[in-house]
Amino acid sequence: MTEVPKDYDVLVLGGGVGGMESALTLGDMGFRVLLVEKEPSVGGRMILLSKVFPTLDCASCISTPKMAAVSNHPNVRTLVYSEVDDIEPQDGGGFLVHLTRKPTYIDPAKCTGCSQCETACTVAIPDEFNYGLSGRHAAHIAFPQAVPKKAVITRTGSSPCTFTCPAGVKPHGYISLVRAGKYEEAFLQHLEDAPFPGVLSRACYAPCEEGCTRGLLEGSVNIRAIKRFMADRYYAAHPEPALVPPAPSGKKVGIVGSGPAGLSAAHFLARRGHAVTVFEGDSEPGGIMRWGIPSYRLPKDVLARDIRNVTALGVEIKTGQRVRSVDELLQKGFDAVFLATGDTGGRRLSVPGEDLPGVWDAMAFLHEINARSSLSFHGKEVVVVGGGNVAIDSARSALRLGAKRVRMVCLESRPEMPAHRWEISDAEEEGVEVLPSWGVREISGEGGHLQSIELKRCTAVFDAEHRFRPVFDESTLQRLETDIVITAIGLVPDTSPFVGELAMNRNGTIRVNPETLQTSLPRVFAGGDAVSGPSMIVTSIGQGKRAAFSIDHFLRGETMVPGEFDFRIPEADKVSIASRSRALGTVREPSHLTRTPAAERIQSFDEYEGTLDEAAARSSANRCLDCGGCSDCRECVAACPADAIDLGMRARHESLSVRTVALATGFTPFDAREKPAFGYGRFPNVITGPQMDRILAPTRPFNAVLRPSDGKTPSNIAYVLCVGSRDEQVGNRLCSRVCCMYSVKQAQLLLGALVSTEVTFYYLDIRAFGKGYEEFFQQTKEMGVHFVRGKVGRIEETDGNDLIVHYEDIEGGGGQKTARHDLVVLSTGLLPTQGAAALFPKGAPEVDDHTYIREVDADLEPGVTTLPGVFVIGSATAVRDIPDTIVHSDAASAQIASYLKKGGAKT
Amino acid sequence: MTGKSHLRDLNEVLRDSMFESDRIARVLRAGPKTLPELSVALSVPVPEVTLWVMTLRRYGRIRELPKGREEDYYRYGWVEGGP
Repeated sequence: MTEVPKDYDVLVLGGGVGGMESALTLGDMGFRVLLVEKEPSVGGRMILLSKVFPTLDCASCISTPKMAAVSNHPNVRTLVYSEVDDIEPQDGGGFLVHLTRKPTYIDPAKCTGCSQCETACTVAIPDEFNYGLSGRHAAHIAFPQAVPKKAVITRTGSSPCTFTCPAGVKPHGYISLVRAGKYEEAFLQHLEDAPFPGVLSRACYAPCEEGCTRGLLEGSVNIRAIKRFMADRYYAAHPEPALVPPAPSGKKVGIVGSGPAGLSAAHFLARRGHAVTVFEGDSEPGGIMRWGIPSYRLPKDVLARDIRNVTALGVEIKTGQRVRSVDELLQKGFDAVFLATGDTGGRRLSVPGEDLPGVWDAMAFLHEINARSSLSFHGKEVVVVGGGNVAIDSARSALRLGAKRVRMVCLESRPEMPAHRWEISDAEEEGVEVLPSWGVREISGEGGHLQSIELKRCTAVFDAEHRFRPVFDESTLQRLETDIVITAIGLVPDTSPFVGELAMNRNGTIRVNPETLQTSLPRVFAGGDAVSGPSMIVTSIGQGKRAAFSIDHFLRGETMVPGEFDFRIPEADKVSIASRSRALGTVREPSHLTRTPAAERIQSFDEYEGTLDEAAARSSANRCLDCGGCSDCRECVAACPADAIDLGMRARHESLSVRTVALATGFTPFDAREKPAFGYGRFPNVITGPQMDRILAPTRPFNAVLRPSDGKTPSNIAYVLCVGSRDEQVGNRLCSRVCCMYSVKQAQLLLGALVSTEVTFYYLDIRAFGKGYEEFFQQTKEMGVHFVRGKVGRIEETDGNDLIVHYEDIEGGGGQKTARHDLVVLSTGLLPTQGAAALFPKGAPEVDDHTYIREVDADLEPGVTTLPGVFVIGSATAVRDIPDTIVHSDAASAQIASYLKKGGAKT
Repeated sequence: MTGKSHLRDLNEVLRDSMFESDRIARVLRAGPKTLPELSVALSVPVPEVTLWVMTLRRYGRIRELPKGREEDYYRYGWVEGGP
């Protein structure tokens, strides 16, 4: 069998000090090394330390040369922000490594590390590199000495609101901008994602709010109301658009229909420089937005201002021009055509009496009132047939025309009614009577005048497969006297002119490729209700956006990649976000819009909901839970001078062959919350040793050594040793070997930093076993640090956030005592990092009783595991301090080199 | 606002920093303040104010003033025209 050369001699898994040392040693020997680190920077835990013991050398000064060296070594390829998924043995030796390079959303080749994206970012989250002592932004550089010094955006998924929107609007983005007081940026961000922010802020049924994670708590964020605030504020400041048409592409596109799909396509095509002409058969543009929605829900001036954003881009809208044929447009020289003809009118009831005077089709009725006709229903009784939103609009409009009684009848039972529940309740509040589970038997009149409508009981609307198949009880009837009947039982797509030219579906819609919206004619695309059947405005806007994306590709001669248009990342985990907030969160009730009382609002077609004021809009925006981390507000895109932001970046998977594997996965700090009696996580002035190291480091989270509760300079600090180590209660009876000495080191640094501070240690014994450690400990005692031998039982907090330590005093006469401190440091232990063995699904190296990776013989064969070709480095096999880790890394490297030189895994 | 602690989830507290930064700016423009003074001015628990101030400080919006040896607290000021 011919041997295939391996990509690398060694995979070093983990870029801490042990992994870096090994990679450098082996690289210097001429071996090809692949170093994989899951964090955005190499350096591991050591780079986060202040100084090292016992020399008090600067940890950064020691670490950073190694970090730079490993990053630039000609024989070492360093992959940061990458995770190994699994490692499988290969026939003939060696391993195949499957790894994922996590998306950073910032092109590292372009990023200069200038931090401008960090500053511009509008999402703040805990800074894990400072162990939560301060915050950072979603766009961030891990820490000042990061190698590589490249920014990364924390993005854990699509926020549910953004994931849900059919038009690709990113509510999380504009909400985070409103929260930060960046209102114009919020509006312009919306306009980049979709036109018609004014319309959508009134007439959208807001699927984003249905998806909002806050909905699992006190109630969803009032997203539509926030949008309305931002749109109204922008339009008040900018009565006319400040948009400029882009440079022309030289291509012409004809669009049929000026409804949401047509104008959305026009908007996006014009932004790409194409010359767009929209043909509208009616007297004014807007389609369903202009003619199908009553003014009390959508004022005409708001729609008109939204449309001017489209025409400002150079889009020409020709009204009163009904297009009868696709060919007619193609003959006029358009390079592509988009058909967005919407719906022509309502479905017929097909019952006797349907053509009597006084029977209205709902769409014709709504068109009439939106044309500002003098229609009056004063003193009349009205029956609306239908249970959807169009029926609701018709019923509420009839009331506003003066009807003395309005009843809605529908086939569906109340829970089945397709109208949104808040629309139904608003209608009922205004006086509309809803009669569910009734079908129409006939409409009667005499002398050409409508008199009544006869109803029959509907016992079921859908069959077992949920197909529309109503069943009636013909023996249960009722007759309603009425003057007017309005039928609103569904809409019919307006596609009849194109039947002979394009392939059609059986339901009369135009057949298209669902990905590209291309019809059976290559230059012709179609979307909106003409393709999907009746849908929401926001869905039609999404269709127009998709069509524009396809048409633009078509005009540029580019091939569309499947899935290219919809590049959402998977939805963030709502349940875990909600449970986090529920446990330790803030209850914030949703704000409500002011509304005109029902009796008053039915007197006119005036808008009856108010707009949030600035304070309410911002506090509403502040209810957002930042579900996905990055909000997609794109402030970083605007701020980045290197054009490095790439929010479309996706995870990349690689498979690489290696001869050997070295596990340098380090340790995991003990979570002090597992010792609840010490109050960590409840008392702000109880911190851990690693946190104190950050406070003492030059790149510290605070400006000085301060206590977290109030920024006071601490004057009486306690150290509690052996927290989470040598402790059967938490399942870790091992000594962590470093806690005594890092605490002693910190005490010395504190005495140097703070002039008059008392430091007290509560300990069982001090383990100063290494070179110079005992001297260092004795020196610390001589500096005045108090050492109290005794076990701490619990810690309580006083008013003012001081702490009472309850301890057993072994050498001071015995018994239980208490002492007051203003800051307590828990010297937390170290635990084995879990998961390394699980990377080998076909046979893993063994672990010891404490779940550290087991060495075959720690004395004679350091670093050699039970799996041939797999080695272990540093704290992955047992907790070590830094000098011991370096020594062990080099010993393991020698073992690896020996293995390779002897032809281990061949080449 | 001191007293016994009721710590909210860290994510929740930090999310508020974007919302609160304008209020903090308004207070600090009137003159530098210690964290407890700022806490009183904002009517917000001082541990939360500490987190916000240190986060704003990281991005250059807030700067500490020199402190005398006998003083327990630093004062913090708003950086006009900061990044």
